[in-house]
Amino acid sequence: MNIKKDIRFRVYIAFTCICLFGCAIIFKAAMIQVKEGPKLRAMAREMHTRFDTLIAERGNIYTEEGALLSSSIPEFDVHVDFSVIDSATFRKNIDTLALCMSRLTMDKTQDQYKEEFVRAYEEGSKYYPLARRKFKYFEYEALRKFPIFNRGKALGGFIADAKEKRENPYGMRAFRTIGVFRDKNMSGLEATYNRVLIGENGRRVVQKSTGNVWVPIEGSEVEPQNGKDIVTTLDINVQEVAEYALRSILEKYECLYGTCIVMETKTGKIRTLVNLGRQPNGTYWEDFNYAMIPTEPGSTFKLATLLSLLNDKLINVDQNVDAEGGTVHFGNRTMHDSHLGLGVMPIWKAYAESSNTAMAKLANSNYANNPKKFIDHLHQFRLDTFTGIDLLGERRTVITRPGTASWSNSTLPWMGTGYGIQISPLHTCMLYNAVANGGKMMKPYLVSSIREYGKEVRRIEPVVLTTVGDAGVIAQAQKCTRAVVTEGTAKGIESPYYTMCGKTGTAQVADKGISYGDGVYQGSFVGYLPAENPQYTICVVIRTKPHSRAYYGGAIAAPVFRMVADKIFSENIGAWGGPLDSLARFSTGVVPAKSATARNYNVLFNAIRKKLPMPDEDVNKIMQVSVDSTNRIVVAPKSMYRNLVPDVKGMSLRDAVYMLETFGMHVNVKGKGKVAEQSITPGTTVTKGQVITIQLS
Amino acid sequence: MEQMQQLLKKTKGDKVIWGVVLLLSFISLLAVFSSTGSLAYRMEKNSNYYLIKQVMVLGLGLMIIYWVHNINYTKFAKLAVILYLLSLPLLLYTLCFGTSLNEGSRWIKLPVINLTFQTSDLAKLALFMFLARTLSIKQADIKDLKKGFIPVLLPVLFTCALIAPANLSTALMLGFTCSILFFIGRVQMKHLMLLALAGIMGLCVLFTVSKLTGWGRASTWEQRITDFFGTKDKDGKKDDVYQVQQAKIAIAGGGITGRGPGKSLQKNFLPHPYSDFIFSIIIEEYGLMGGGLVVMLYLLFLWRAVLIFKRCPFAFGAFLAVGLSITLVFQAMLNMAVNVHLVPVTGLTLPMISMGGSSIWFTSIAIGIVLSVSKYVDEMEGSKKKKAKPAQADGATDAGVEEVTDETTEEEERVEEEIVEKKPRKRASKKQVLDDGPIPAI
Repeated sequence: MNIKKDIRFRVYIAFTCICLFGCAIIFKAAMIQVKEGPKLRAMAREMHTRFDTLIAERGNIYTEEGALLSSSIPEFDVHVDFSVIDSATFRKNIDTLALCMSRLTMDKTQDQYKEEFVRAYEEGSKYYPLARRKFKYFEYEALRKFPIFNRGKALGGFIADAKEKRENPYGMRAFRTIGVFRDKNMSGLEATYNRVLIGENGRRVVQKSTGNVWVPIEGSEVEPQNGKDIVTTLDINVQEVAEYALRSILEKYECLYGTCIVMETKTGKIRTLVNLGRQPNGTYWEDFNYAMIPTEPGSTFKLATLLSLLNDKLINVDQNVDAEGGTVHFGNRTMHDSHLGLGVMPIWKAYAESSNTAMAKLANSNYANNPKKFIDHLHQFRLDTFTGIDLLGERRTVITRPGTASWSNSTLPWMGTGYGIQISPLHTCMLYNAVANGGKMMKPYLVSSIREYGKEVRRIEPVVLTTVGDAGVIAQAQKCTRAVVTEGTAKGIESPYYTMCGKTGTAQVADKGISYGDGVYQGSFVGYLPAENPQYTICVVIRTKPHSRAYYGGAIAAPVFRMVADKIFSENIGAWGGPLDSLARFSTGVVPAKSATARNYNVLFNAIRKKLPMPDEDVNKIMQVSVDSTNRIVVAPKSMYRNLVPDVKGMSLRDAVYMLETFGMHVNVKGKGKVAEQSITPGTTVTKGQVITIQLS
Repeated sequence: MEQMQQLLKKTKGDKVIWGVVLLLSFISLLAVFSSTGSLAYRMEKNSNYYLIKQVMVLGLGLMIIYWVHNINYTKFAKLAVILYLLSLPLLLYTLCFGTSLNEGSRWIKLPVINLTFQTSDLAKLALFMFLARTLSIKQADIKDLKKGFIPVLLPVLFTCALIAPANLSTALMLGFTCSILFFIGRVQMKHLMLLALAGIMGLCVLFTVSKLTGWGRASTWEQRITDFFGTKDKDGKKDDVYQVQQAKIAIAGGGITGRGPGKSLQKNFLPHPYSDFIFSIIIEEYGLMGGGLVVMLYLLFLWRAVLIFKRCPFAFGAFLAVGLSITLVFQAMLNMAVNVHLVPVTGLTLPMISMGGSSIWFTSIAIGIVLSVSKYVDEMEGSKKKKAKPAQADGATDAGVEEVTDETTEEEERVEEEIVEKKPRKRASKKQVLDDGPIPAI
């Protein structure tokens, strides 16, 4: 064969083979698409896209006044990857960086920081913690702008992980009630209302894009439902005073723990819930919800006995009872009064003096044949069930029942004085509140409304649980509780300015690890104020240390009650009628506030039951009170001249600020109380935006 | 404008090949720009960085083609010998001191211009040129084992032996491509069969030795083979399995017309979407149509080279044109076959399309040489026509051809003398043109 033809033939063969190879490639590609296509495309979808969770923001906890009790704030964990920082950059900027760090944190010097960073850099540390603590948002903002760090994660090695932290701006105040929220660890309202607060996470589909970035696919988003806010009934001001008052007593007598509950009589709202437990180092901390731990209540329980007897029409509080000198035998046990020597007296007096023997005899003589009747009343007073407060952690109460092994012939008389049963301070508070509330027992509650984006979405209304007695019964019970304060065991505590009712209680404690012989007492005082038209019920329960020098409820719990009551009274001046001592001086012509808004004057005049005509309908208008020539009090609009700085001396802060701001001035406030000085003389022409400083007295 | 025209005038050779090269470069830019997004992000570069780099590389490549195609191809005969003799020590040096990438030592750095390149690219080019020369010389005795085949085979064995330890797949591919060249160069089928048998046996021995001693990359090879046949775990995470799986997903996502330019999703998952697996990205973005076009372009290139081969009266030029283009296209086919999982992963790039530096320039040199042959053939045919019908040629519209032919007339005449077949008298004169002996005309 011709050489040239042979070669040409072979070239054609080679070319054909390569053509076939090319066809095979396209054919195989088509086969992949057709045969394995569906499976591969499904894999692709799985790989290219994923669900991304959009974290819902947790709701806040507010008070009804708008104070923020618990909120989530971002915190930053900052690490440095020294291995990515270019050595020239590092050398050039290390001094400045160390200086910036030292200025920001104030905990180490520039040299210390420099030394640390240089060491970490030489080691090539990839995840060097910048500090042992987490950084706040403003610190993080500053850190990001520091030299080296401002080059970002890839060049500056700046790695920041944001984390939500639950923060309580008021610290320990009502800490146990508000509770904590840390990962899986929850307590208090945070736990009770977790489902409201937590919201619902949203999600979206994201697709992997250039540079490991996941880009959301439009329209795939399910927006997160942010958690709703809850508004608690707690009054942070009263809470503060109650905590202070309770702690001062606890510290004074080195008590084991104490709790103080303030309940709004008409509604059952819990205004204050203090729980202080002694820590090993002698300080006090909100460690347990003592208000919800059932214990033997002692004498405060005598109200239940009294109510039971009154409901069954078995007694009248004016009937006489014989305390037999304070020593009575029941079966093989002997009961003593804590103050011996009482003889025959009316039942209200026996209650006021807290005579154990008298109450035990009444219970025993009336119910010994049919103890179930007494137990049924306890059921009626809801002492055998949960209070139903919206706070997790309530425990079951203990009531010895007839027919059980622990029931003996001495059980009933002791139960009548508050032993042999265990109820929580909250139960006791609820019972006294029912008496204060004309017999209606209110369900205690801590959250009054639920808000979403600032708008109320649910209001929680007060709930009447039951009635503990008719008007006659309640009137007699109120008489007894009033007598405790006027001539009984709590004689010393009444304020000259307002009235109150209550009951002391002093119980020997036998509890886990404590026997009656250990000399541990539970002193309590539960009462309400003012006596005429009760507004608040306060329950204070304190457990003493063994063999404490003070343990009577009247000595340790009543002072706390008084301090809290005083605070409530001062906060509510004008809200209820009473001998308002601070306003009494009005009759002498001295007016506490020279000028105030018409609204405030309305409140004031209502309080002192003086009907003075208001010259204007507008309740926001500033009024002035003066005495006219006939010595009569008149209210007239305060004369104000446009563009002239008004005289705000003697006004309350709120009114002064309101007035000055209507003149377009900026107010700078110093001090507390009423306005004593103002930096710009009254009558000066006002310049818009001018700053005026007011000094309060 | 005038300069452009000037440049166009001076651009000779097969216009279709030029067109194919420009089209491939364009496809390369599209695919590289799309697939380097992740890389640019990782390297903290501007997203245009790799595009601009590739534009520059391809631009330089085109300049190399232009420059090379203007060289009279006969000069490559001498150059082939020099390059081949140079490539052997270079390969040895690379094997011992080269930069190690992916376990194999393949790269060396040129000391002065600070450029890294794969020595095997140079060696391949040198070997193909050298083979074209040897085959053309030995045509008379090629059917003889000792006088023809062995001298042709030995240089191939040397080069393959030096490449194999570091990069077996390149060596295998080179051996196979050379076998195609042997086939075209009229080596007896009997000898080729023997070679194939020896090759398989050699591989088995090499594999066993490597596995037993732990020297070389036996484990990589083993893994690649087992991965291809899918006998081992298919969790899709192992490197090669993962790559192939991702490439297949890309192909499946392409459909007939593709997702559209730049819309590939797999580029973020494929480890090297801009080099070894660029073809699957092309299918994903432009579909089977796009993939088919690329295959067609390579085949068209090869067909044009075959036409040049047919027209070239000299054995060396003919072997050069068909040898270099067939190896180039074969490499392209192998790469695409890897992408569609037709053959195991080899680590070959797609010539003129994959992102790269030196490898594109070596490909450019090869294309330049093919065009140089083409240009020579054109001119020779032109001058023949002129001799036959001078008036017609003079009056031809293509003034450029005339101009160039005038310049090269002298050279052509010299070569034309060589054409005269089997005349010992002329053989002596051929020695003046080609150092190493005569080129028998076909």
